[in-house]
Amino acid sequence: MTASSPRTAAGPDRPGRLNPLTLLAAAGSTAVITTAAGSWPLSLTVIAVSLGLSAAGGTARRVVAAAAAILVPLSLSLVMLHGLFFPEGTTVLAEWGPARVTAEGLGFAGRRILQLGAVVLALLVFSFSVSVPDLVAALSARGVQGRFAFVLASTLTLLPAISARARRIRQAQESRGLVVTRGLLSRVAAFRLQAVPLVMSLVEDAGTRAAALEARGLSNAGPRTSYRQVPDSRLQRTARAVLVLAAAAALVLRLVQAGASA
Amino acid sequence: MSSPSLTLPSQERPAARRRRLLEILGALAIAATYVYLVLNQPADITGGPGSASALIALSGFLAGAVLLIVAVLPTLPASTLVLIPVALVLNIVLGQFVGSTLVPFYLDAIGTVLIAVLAGPAAGAATGALSSIVWSFFNPTVLPFAAGAALIGCLAGLAARYGLFRRFYLAPVAGFVTGIIAGVVSAPVAAFVFGGTSGVATGAIVSAFRAMGDTLLAAITKQALISDPMDKAIVFTIVAILVYALPRRARQQFPFLRRHRVLAGKAPTATAEAPAQGATRDN
Repeated sequence: MTASSPRTAAGPDRPGRLNPLTLLAAAGSTAVITTAAGSWPLSLTVIAVSLGLSAAGGTARRVVAAAAAILVPLSLSLVMLHGLFFPEGTTVLAEWGPARVTAEGLGFAGRRILQLGAVVLALLVFSFSVSVPDLVAALSARGVQGRFAFVLASTLTLLPAISARARRIRQAQESRGLVVTRGLLSRVAAFRLQAVPLVMSLVEDAGTRAAALEARGLSNAGPRTSYRQVPDSRLQRTARAVLVLAAAAALVLRLVQAGASA
Repeated sequence: MSSPSLTLPSQERPAARRRRLLEILGALAIAATYVYLVLNQPADITGGPGSASALIALSGFLAGAVLLIVAVLPTLPASTLVLIPVALVLNIVLGQFVGSTLVPFYLDAIGTVLIAVLAGPAAGAATGALSSIVWSFFNPTVLPFAAGAALIGCLAGLAARYGLFRRFYLAPVAGFVTGIIAGVVSAPVAAFVFGGTSGVATGAIVSAFRAMGDTLLAAITKQALISDPMDKAIVFTIVAILVYALPRRARQQFPFLRRHRVLAGKAPTATAEAPAQGATRDN
């Protein structure tokens, strides 16, 4: 059962046409099952399938860049931590002073990196291929708080806008003579000169937006009508149920095993 | 709170009770997960990945965070709700920058603490948990820290409510204490789910403790006790500077500020010389 999830995720090759909740269920249960199984061949398979899927969907470059930004520091940290210092290790490969390179430590770090890499890639493939308006519409149709959907969509659209505004503020302050030197005090002062105008303008904007949303009935109770049709089918509904059940079964199986061995 | 409606039978009471129940359940889930992890000190921590404790840490903390969001989100006024996305962006932009540098700090809670000071502990807790969930769209490794982030927001809101932001020297102290609690709660996640820390600088500190023969959980907890209190003291100081710099008109949108007299009387200059020790950041 554990091996079925990546294959299910790999099956459909047009993620744009799928219901976003199906994609979410596939990515989430892949992550849970990989963590529960903890076997490196499965982790490697998931990594390969995720990379293949993102290449097929045309998002490979962005997914790999985002995954590398997360996994490279994490791997460096884990290899340094467990490769050099693993008091539980017995097979010593090399030794410098207090640092002992042990086979057990390197193996532990390697397995952890593969497992985390599989989880990170599976979830990133989902978030880079899903259409955010579809996800928001599907969540609202399922009775999930419209407010949660608002927070999600608003954050994803505000992110580039706020980065651009921070850049403009820095340019404005630089044109007024802001020079950042290496000293600590200078950096703190520069931070204050940029952060205060940024946060002030953001809070001001938010106040205006709150009034506009309130006028359009954000806090009113009652059902909402969505004009966006999200594709869904009986097959997908069944697939979602199977994926969630598989993840739950993997979780329970793993916990029972641990309880039996303890 | 508001006067009962004369025309419709009130549905407020049962809904409020259900939300309070969800809040308590969420807090209980987080507390029970932590107690279980520490008491059982699972021996399989280095016995290979896929350990049951990683799954317990993940599901317990995540379920608690989701329950808190479900309980708190519907009660927030629109002025606070609109500010949450802004806070999330501030968390992500600043945290992404600092997390990858060679400084053993995170500074990824400025937005959360800002909301907590402006709108109270419940809003802060919801913002912290939401921040982790939305951020995991770009970086799935922050998802397991949702409970820790919610705790930071809640504690920051409590500090604001009991007047710790009225004196500029008390804000870093409140941050220091918050950091100790948040660090201790987040350490099992780092230990069981990641088997280490995600930054190189924090990893170096953990390595030092491992070299002295500590267990992984002990080493990561000690690292958290070094990094987190300093980090949160800096964050609280930055937030104090930001809140006092806000014009009066912007502050008046937030009834929490007025009801609990969060800020000092009328002298916004008091924090100008606040000691922002080590807040190294440039854009």
